[in-house]
Amino acid sequence: MGELWFAFALLLFAMAALWQAYGISGFSGLTSAGVFPMLAAVTMVVAALSILAATLRRPVEENASVRRFVAQVLPARLIAFLALVVGFLVIMPWAGFMPSAAVFLFTATALLWRRGVIAPTLVTATAMVLIWLTFRLAFQIILPRGVLFPSLF
Amino acid sequence: MPDAVANFLIAWLDPWLLLLTGLGTLAGVYVGAIPGLSVTMAASILISFTFKWDVNDALALMTGVFVGGVYGGARTAILLNIPGAPSAIATALDGYPLAKKGLAGEAIGLTTLMSVMGGLIGIVALALFAPPLSSLALMFQSRDYLLLGLIGILLVGTLSGDFAKGAFAGALGVLIGMVGLDPMTAEGRFTFGTITLMGGIHYVVAMIGFFGVAEALMQMRDIDLPAVRQRVSRVVPPWADVKRYFALALRSSGIGAVIGALPGTGGDIAALLAYDQAKRSTKDPQTPFGEGAKEGLVAPEAANNAAVGGAFIPMLTLGIPGDAVTAVIIGALFIHGLKPGPLLLSDTPHLFWFMVGSLTLANVFLLIFGLTGIRIFAKIVECPKAVLVPLIIVLSVVGAYAIQNNPADIYWMLAFGVVGYFMKYYSYPVAPVILGVILGPMMDANYRRAMIGARNDPLTFLADFITHPISLVLSVAFLLMLISQTPLWPGRRKREAEAE
Repeated sequence: MGELWFAFALLLFAMAALWQAYGISGFSGLTSAGVFPMLAAVTMVVAALSILAATLRRPVEENASVRRFVAQVLPARLIAFLALVVGFLVIMPWAGFMPSAAVFLFTATALLWRRGVIAPTLVTATAMVLIWLTFRLAFQIILPRGVLFPSLF
Repeated sequence: MPDAVANFLIAWLDPWLLLLTGLGTLAGVYVGAIPGLSVTMAASILISFTFKWDVNDALALMTGVFVGGVYGGARTAILLNIPGAPSAIATALDGYPLAKKGLAGEAIGLTTLMSVMGGLIGIVALALFAPPLSSLALMFQSRDYLLLGLIGILLVGTLSGDFAKGAFAGALGVLIGMVGLDPMTAEGRFTFGTITLMGGIHYVVAMIGFFGVAEALMQMRDIDLPAVRQRVSRVVPPWADVKRYFALALRSSGIGAVIGALPGTGGDIAALLAYDQAKRSTKDPQTPFGEGAKEGLVAPEAANNAAVGGAFIPMLTLGIPGDAVTAVIIGALFIHGLKPGPLLLSDTPHLFWFMVGSLTLANVFLLIFGLTGIRIFAKIVECPKAVLVPLIIVLSVVGAYAIQNNPADIYWMLAFGVVGYFMKYYSYPVAPVILGVILGPMMDANYRRAMIGARNDPLTFLADFITHPISLVLSVAFLLMLISQTPLWPGRRKREAEAE
């Protein structure tokens, strides 16, 4: 059931992409900016139709239901982890990369690993020190800074 | 000739250059292996603090990073199923199944040997065939580059076995590659009027999302399973394997050197072409392709390392970069007052032979570093998934941000990761997406140049594909590949009948 919905969603996306590609320059010329995007979008629509047809031809799974789809494809743990990732990305512009990454790493490892507090704390501290040394000092990569500690992180 | 030998040996005899080449290779192996860190990025950063150095010192370090980085991508492809670089996409297809069978050490050992062999063959090609190959590359027209791009995406799309899913993924990649301002007319494409999207979406961001984040999310499904313990008991591959795959490695290295020499095509296309060639030419593999065939490991690794030497051919003789890293190295040469191009070989032959020597030395270091330290590296994957998965996310965030220092790239990475998760779950190949993002802009530009060359006449445009020898060969190859995916192809009909 989930595969059918995914194939249908891809078809809708492909059609929307074709509409957007047409909107770039329409059929104004063979070398206009929209020609290649339109060719790519048409390929997507044709491929999505073919995938949808093939999926529809297949026999429907027994016991197919929304609950089963959620349990198999989007289990609660995955949704909770994605929520943590989104939270990490949302607080990063405010707190900066280092503090938000440390909070994310600690929370995620503590929840997933279930080894108390000391092990996740050690893992987080080691990982953050290594990340700082490798990326900031060795590779001189600028890490996202926040507004909370603008001079530090 | 004695001058050439003397210049070739400079990097070998000077202890400082020896150290720099060794350090560069070691750093390259680890930079290439860390998902999200690209060799291009490392080479670009190196330029920023080597521009005051002596040209030989800077080039020794950078060639080491280049050679090590192309190889390093294979390590995470084998151990984690996350290619460290686009050139290692094909390596993951059979490398990871081998690791799951407990043959990670042997797979890495075989990869190292074949990479060094490919690398050395690429250097021989650079030294011997630079002038004729570069003159052939000079004859390539825009339509030929368009065909090369289409063949590349078609090849990787068909590797999954489901052509429609592969085609969708490839086209999706091309579409992502189109986002931003059109380089010819400055019209916005899929920008929705926002400034953030006008600069486009970097292919590394898509790569990290579709490979790194999607893989991390897939791992979340069975996080309680014990960590993959890759057995790294034997690193040096059996002599029988080396003998068995020697001919295949030679053929793949030849493909890699030629593809690498074509401007704009690098190790990624070379590896995929070599993989496809190995799949077609190996009649009776010991293990089926995609399930841990050693042929599927030997071919792409020999080819992508041979492409390094090949990529230097158009760079040094024509001033045209063979791939992204050689484009950065061209920048380094310009910073040091040198002008890569036809005059470089006649005006500064010592530099050409120095680079040949430096590349050879880097391959020797690759053999040393490739066969050692694997057990320490493999410990990374013994780390519990509950620790590894959040760490991959944090590294992916750093990698995505470091490319352009743009916070929006991080959000794109996450979005691609979620889409990639569903694609992986429903058996859509994600490699064509990445290839589409990389090759899409090149194909678009070459399609338009070819059409302008045909004076906007579709009939002349199509006629050009069959009236020029190089275009005709490529067109026939493209059509044959396309037909091979339809029931019209006898072999396919038989396979489908067998499947039923």
